Amino acid sequence: MSGTQDQAGIELQGAGLTIRGRVILSDLTLTLTEARIGIVGRNGSGKTSLLRLIAGLVAATAGSVQVDGVDPARDRKTMLSRLGILFQNPDHQILMPTVAEELTFGLRQMGRADAETVARAALSAEGRSHWADQPVSTLSHGQKQWLCLMSVLLMNPATILLDEPFAALDLPTEARLTRRLAALPQRLITISHAPAAVASCDRVIWLECGRVRADGPATPVLAEFTEAMARLGADDADADLSA
Amino acid sequence: MERSLSHIALFAALIAVLGFVPQIMLPFGVPITAQSLGIMLCGTVLGAKRGALAVLLFLALVAIGLPLLSGGRGGLGVFASPTVGFLIGFPVAAFVAGLIVERSRASIGLAAGIGALVGGVIMLYAFGIPGLALMLDKTLPEAALMITAFLPGDLIKVVLAALITQGIARMRPDALLSRA
Amino acid sequence: MLTLTSPRETPLHGWPAGVKLAGLCLFTLALFQLTAPLWLVGVAVALALGHLALGRDIAAAGFGLLRPLWPFALIVTVWHLILHDPSGGAVILLRMGSAVAAANLVTMTTRLSDMLAVLMRLVAPLSRLGLPGDRIALAVALVIRFIPVLSDRIALIRSAWFARSLRPPGWRLLVPAALAALDEAEHVAESLRARGGAG
Repeated sequence: MSGTQDQAGIELQGAGLTIRGRVILSDLTLTLTEARIGIVGRNGSGKTSLLRLIAGLVAATAGSVQVDGVDPARDRKTMLSRLGILFQNPDHQILMPTVAEELTFGLRQMGRADAETVARAALSAEGRSHWADQPVSTLSHGQKQWLCLMSVLLMNPATILLDEPFAALDLPTEARLTRRLAALPQRLITISHAPAAVASCDRVIWLECGRVRADGPATPVLAEFTEAMARLGADDADADLSA
Repeated sequence: MERSLSHIALFAALIAVLGFVPQIMLPFGVPITAQSLGIMLCGTVLGAKRGALAVLLFLALVAIGLPLLSGGRGGLGVFASPTVGFLIGFPVAAFVAGLIVERSRASIGLAAGIGALVGGVIMLYAFGIPGLALMLDKTLPEAALMITAFLPGDLIKVVLAALITQGIARMRPDALLSRA
Repeated sequence: MLTLTSPRETPLHGWPAGVKLAGLCLFTLALFQLTAPLWLVGVAVALALGHLALGRDIAAAGFGLLRPLWPFALIVTVWHLILHDPSGGAVILLRMGSAVAAANLVTMTTRLSDMLAVLMRLVAPLSRLGLPGDRIALAVALVIRFIPVLSDRIALIRSAWFARSLRPPGWRLLVPAALAALDEAEHVAESLRARGGAG
């Protein structure tokens, strides 16, 4: 897939997702090429489904999705080096019993024979060599999140999808992770319900009921989003909670 | 492929974890362990093939030295003890229970109950009793007599396996791979 | 993860696991050919001395691992006393104890990784039936990884139960426990898929 510079980026053409008769996402046409992209929306707006669709974890039931010119749901092998995902809950992501095994897992899937060496080198570069053989169950939530990020970075994908990366992190850990993410050369697509998490993005997409409600530079989109959310919150909640 | 593998591994882990939860003691020191219910559930929830593989995976981990059988037992010693027949019967029990749930058109609770009875009791005893007879140098009827004390507890487990499978079916109908 | 392997290295730890396992098989087969009580007493004494020679910690752990056999020991003892056949009962008890003790000795003196390597060699022929060894190794790693996760989930479910009830959950615990395993399985499948799948 070399020489596809013109196809670099994520392209959705009328993409939709319907699961068991329920429409989750519909008619999404987007070209994502910016370095920092944020996706905001309320609970149930389809944010996480959109991320799963882009990642190829689910296939579109309508339209098409292409990542650097490749269908992510079909060509999983190519996707490994193109796209990484940081799940919201690190416990849903970590598959191996020890830190070193977790770091090597993805590399081995990519067929890298030097997985062990690369993983241990990465750990020592971070000053955490002593973690290598530690069981992951002894790590704190923030440490697990860090391990997930490291595992993804070792596979060196061009794009990283982040699902509510700051959920359940304490403030210092959040600040460290923010700094770490800001310095990454990769394209980052961040999903959040919190405007602050995506405020520094080049582009923000506001998703509502599985459709794009607004799309553009962060400041105006987030201003509109925050105002709408405040208005909803001020309403009597009963209508919403009993729905 | 990933879904099969992850379900097999997670249910093997579930059997292990159910060995740590407190057990209900019946007279004669016979415990009803949540663990043996876990074996039946592997079959009734995951179906024949995945259920049996989950149990086999669990037994492999016990054999290589993890103390995962209820009461913290494990290692090769349990495969040299008089109950070895029951251990060998576990994957068969899960397979048969799963097969019955897969093939039966009865309601999920009833099918799971029949599966648990035929797989988790009749098939399990068909392996356990000869094992006991061999290890303790007894005849088959003598060995059968020795474990009659377990029968009431095992019949209670059949009912529980049916209720639990039905509960799972009601709360998460799509999750029941045996009926997928 | 806690294993039954003795953390203190004994000379037996250095022996190849395959040799120990083959030896154990032969020993157990031979044991079941012995019918003379005196021979079996000799074997049992030799095993006990062997344990002690490796260290008192090994002997104590080995003895502890025999404890679950007590109900069988009791049944066999009473049975054979009623039949006035004490030597027949002694043969059964000595054989049972020796077989289990020898097997446990191998477990105590073989590292988990060595045992796993033997297991992988034993299941290698299965790859022709469509069950490649690396998939089995992945499954083993997943179980070890998710035992503490599920254990925590069940502890949470128990505390949620006790927060609203005075009676213990009993068997009812198993419905949310099984659902937790099913949910985790879906997450694991997704994570596997995100990172290269199970092949």
